[in-house]
Amino acid sequence: MSASDEKLIGIWGYPEPSVMEEIRKKYPQNRFIDLDINYNSPESGILPDAYCRIMKNIIDNATAFQQNLDVIIASVGREKCDSGWFAANILRDMGFKVIETRFEEYGDKFRETPISKSSLPLKDKINAIMDNIIEKQDLKLTQCRPEYGFWGVPPNDLDFLDIFPHNTHVYGWTRCVEAGRPADIELEMYVDEGIPTVFFAQTFCAKMQLAKYLAKKYNGIYIDVDDTASNSVKAKIEAFIKLG
Amino acid sequence: MAKLYADAGTTWSKVLEIYENEKELETSPLLKIDDLSAYAVFENGKEYSDHTGNRHKGRTFLLPSKIFSSVPVNFDGATGHMVKQRINPDGKYHNEIVALAFGARKKVKNLENATVIDIGSRDLKWVKFENGKYRDLDWNGNCGSVTGATVEMLCKFYNIDLAALTPQREKISVTCGVFAMEKIMDNIASDIPAEIAVARYIHGIAYNAWVFAGKPEKVYLSGGFCLNSCFVESLKFYCDVTPLGRFILIEGLY
Repeated sequence: MSASDEKLIGIWGYPEPSVMEEIRKKYPQNRFIDLDINYNSPESGILPDAYCRIMKNIIDNATAFQQNLDVIIASVGREKCDSGWFAANILRDMGFKVIETRFEEYGDKFRETPISKSSLPLKDKINAIMDNIIEKQDLKLTQCRPEYGFWGVPPNDLDFLDIFPHNTHVYGWTRCVEAGRPADIELEMYVDEGIPTVFFAQTFCAKMQLAKYLAKKYNGIYIDVDDTASNSVKAKIEAFIKLG
Repeated sequence: MAKLYADAGTTWSKVLEIYENEKELETSPLLKIDDLSAYAVFENGKEYSDHTGNRHKGRTFLLPSKIFSSVPVNFDGATGHMVKQRINPDGKYHNEIVALAFGARKKVKNLENATVIDIGSRDLKWVKFENGKYRDLDWNGNCGSVTGATVEMLCKFYNIDLAALTPQREKISVTCGVFAMEKIMDNIASDIPAEIAVARYIHGIAYNAWVFAGKPEKVYLSGGFCLNSCFVESLKFYCDVTPLGRFILIEGLY
């Protein structure tokens, strides 16, 4: 994932953009790395086994890249979760340089969400939205009408997203990220009514309650996945799409 | 030309061969199976109609999955994880929930407002229909696991005749066969006859299946538990039950 001497700036969640710019200028040679993502880093054993897989990625990645990480910009506000705040404090206690940011106030600023509504494969949509946090992507996008919906955060296991047809729109926190409003609960709870939507949450994440509630409210289907999606979870999604 | 369909379960696999005349069976790929007739299941008055309504002759088999997986036969339609790689080039694979939904819709006239539950040896799945349309589904492969397999093992271990079990009002509340074992042993250690303990466990499975499916008023039951009267009667403590037999998923394949 990283050359042994490559210098890195770690992030998770959606840090305050102005803080990211400040740190980018301070460490011009460093590459940003999203610690949320599963890079198959060795298990650090710091967090409990039964815990949010994304938080385990953050801690495991940080410890695996400790020598390369000059600084970590940690999302600790409502745009992430309490676990993000605890993780920031654990890593600081372990000797990491951690800058905490809260990205919760946006005023009237609202970016359009063309990636969420595009005809890109769902996995590409989600990756593009998340990559945009670090570096604005130059994408040629074709908009499409939604036939299906995916609501939620970027999963630890991105492969099961291949089940979804390309005319699946993105909702939930991921769309909030594209809109530049990651703690906008009203936008997070928005879906297009009548569109069959899969409401996804990582197992052990607080967003499970929102996903389950919204799935019932909008006649969608609720799924939670811990590490990788089981065959039965994949089959549920397939069936939901086929029978819809 | 005869066509083959399979529902490959973890412990038992169901196979249907449909054909136009008996001559076609002389070259059936199923003849690779030793003592094939020993696995035949006769269903009196059974008609085999495809999804367009065309009628066919047919024969069905219930094979231990160990034997099923060891015989190199490909299928024109199949469901079940283990059979994904054994589909003919122009054949069709459906996952189990899709096969269950298609099969139930095909076999049940006026499937207006009901839930179809399939209980396998290691999992539990259901599909709910409202006003004749698919409405919701779920599949529990973890916490509902090893239920059917546990009943089979317990009956063998305690030499219990499943058909002779009497449904019990009391239940052993369990979500999975592994956790159930401890409570069944507790019952037996407290001088409760094994037949009663196992019947309580079966009641527990029925109750959990009903709760997992969202406490429906009307249930169509699919899978091996259809043949378990203790289970069917236990489920009737909670809802109206119509057993469909163990070939419903196959019905969803053609």
